[in-house]
Amino acid sequence: MSEHTTEQREMAELLVEALNLEDITAEEIDPEESLFGDGLGLDSIDALEIALAISQKYGVQMQAEDENVRNAFATLASLCEFVKENTP
Amino acid sequence: MTDTYAPLVNRSVDDWIAYTKAPIAPLGDHIGTVSVADFLAHVHQLAQHLPDAGYALNLCENRYLFMVAFCAAIVRQQTNLLPPNKNIATQEAMGQRYRDTYILHDGVVCAESIPQFDINSLTLSANTKASSEIAIPDIALDFLSAITFTSGSTGESTPSHKPWRTFVDSTHINGNYMLPSTERLVWLLATVPGQHMWGLETSILLPLMARVCVCDARPLFAKDIRSILTYLPEPRMLVSTPVHLRAMVLSGLDFPPIAMTLCATAPLAKELAVQAETLFRGQLQEVYGCSEVGSMLYRQTSKVDCWTIFNGLSFISSGNNDDDNKYIARGAHLPAEVLLQDRLQMVGERQFRLLGRNEDMIEIAGKRGSLQELNKILLATRGVLDGVVFLPPEDKASVNRLAALVVFDGQTTSHENQEDLKERVMEQFRERLDPVFLPRPLHIVDALPREANGKLPRKKLLALFESLS
Repeated sequence: MSEHTTEQREMAELLVEALNLEDITAEEIDPEESLFGDGLGLDSIDALEIALAISQKYGVQMQAEDENVRNAFATLASLCEFVKENTP
Repeated sequence: MTDTYAPLVNRSVDDWIAYTKAPIAPLGDHIGTVSVADFLAHVHQLAQHLPDAGYALNLCENRYLFMVAFCAAIVRQQTNLLPPNKNIATQEAMGQRYRDTYILHDGVVCAESIPQFDINSLTLSANTKASSEIAIPDIALDFLSAITFTSGSTGESTPSHKPWRTFVDSTHINGNYMLPSTERLVWLLATVPGQHMWGLETSILLPLMARVCVCDARPLFAKDIRSILTYLPEPRMLVSTPVHLRAMVLSGLDFPPIAMTLCATAPLAKELAVQAETLFRGQLQEVYGCSEVGSMLYRQTSKVDCWTIFNGLSFISSGNNDDDNKYIARGAHLPAEVLLQDRLQMVGERQFRLLGRNEDMIEIAGKRGSLQELNKILLATRGVLDGVVFLPPEDKASVNRLAALVVFDGQTTSHENQEDLKERVMEQFRERLDPVFLPRPLHIVDALPREANGKLPRKKLLALFESLS
């Protein structure tokens, strides 16, 4: 597993907190592992929670119609990248 | 129309019934409103192409195609089977139980053991007849138009029969409580699927019987919900759940006025109801129901605590001496009376207080599951000696999730590591359940705090659970 950047660590902590993940710590979330499906196993309700937490912390609104958002939810790394590019 | 038939659609053929947000294959590049006349043309064309069968397992994802498929099956005298989820195991269980079945879908992954019909393989053309020549099909009131299933996961769930009479009458009743008071066409957006009772009653049946034009989209994020609402003209109506409303309220976004918001599936906090009404500049009605009966009670949660029962329904004490808070629901349009799972207290002639939700049935984001069934799946996992899936107390900060405690037999725990064992249990769940029901967290423990008689007191269970977190 590759090392977290500062932004990735911050985002990983947000995920663990927003989703009450108890079996995994922020350090253990692989930036390249898929968040949904076989990876971390998140679902659509989690996506809603993540979107809410991101809007509150970074002021970035997620929108699924936007192809970029679907790609953004792939991994921790892509989520960070998306927020960075869209932060007002 | 005689007393034994009712029309499939009780609308003017020139009115709008649906709004497609993006192109869907059978409609080519069409985007936007669909008239009742075009809808009926689509229903007739699909009905002509459907295979012969007694049952149509309707798995269409797109709300408009689901609605066309639902009606086309009825026109062909086929009963819609509406399972609680689309998992392969559930499809197979349906196929086992109802032999004369095919899957009617719009591109979902289907069980190979059951014949299938993909609507996307058809082109459905718009109406070409003059309005005066369009005949609306009459449906026999005792025709079994659908079977919904109360719970879970394994196909052992209880079927609930829906003759056409039940849908016609209950939709007429629902219209009295659910629609904004206006003569104008109402534009409806729903964040819940059409297959389950809540979405079916509101986003599929209401448009068939009242001046409602339903959008086919099912948005998830607050910004998506806003963007679609902005497309829809006034008066708007939103059918949703506490999970989605919370995301909308906390998003900090502005919303166009929503004349009527309906919320069901889980208890809505009064504070959230007040915030939503302020944000939407409209009324929010919370609805309580069950899949056997449909919607039964309503309240304007921002203003009152008590629920009012819909006209046409009555609750009669179950006569159970041990618990006088159990009621039976009756209605002339229901095929049978139904013992309500939740406990109620009568506080006025037609008013009730909801005392406690049923401990077995759980609803997460509009999806229903049975704890008993989840526990069965858990205990059927290889090496599991004892275990329990349960709903921990509400955590206001986020969506409530199921948790599980599992005991493996000694031999298994000495040979395999904890991570592999957890994965084995999760695999067992994943194959059979919608992801929202997967327990999180799942802890492996040495034993559950059972009493001598085998009962597991909730207090002790929660104490053990908290010591682990």
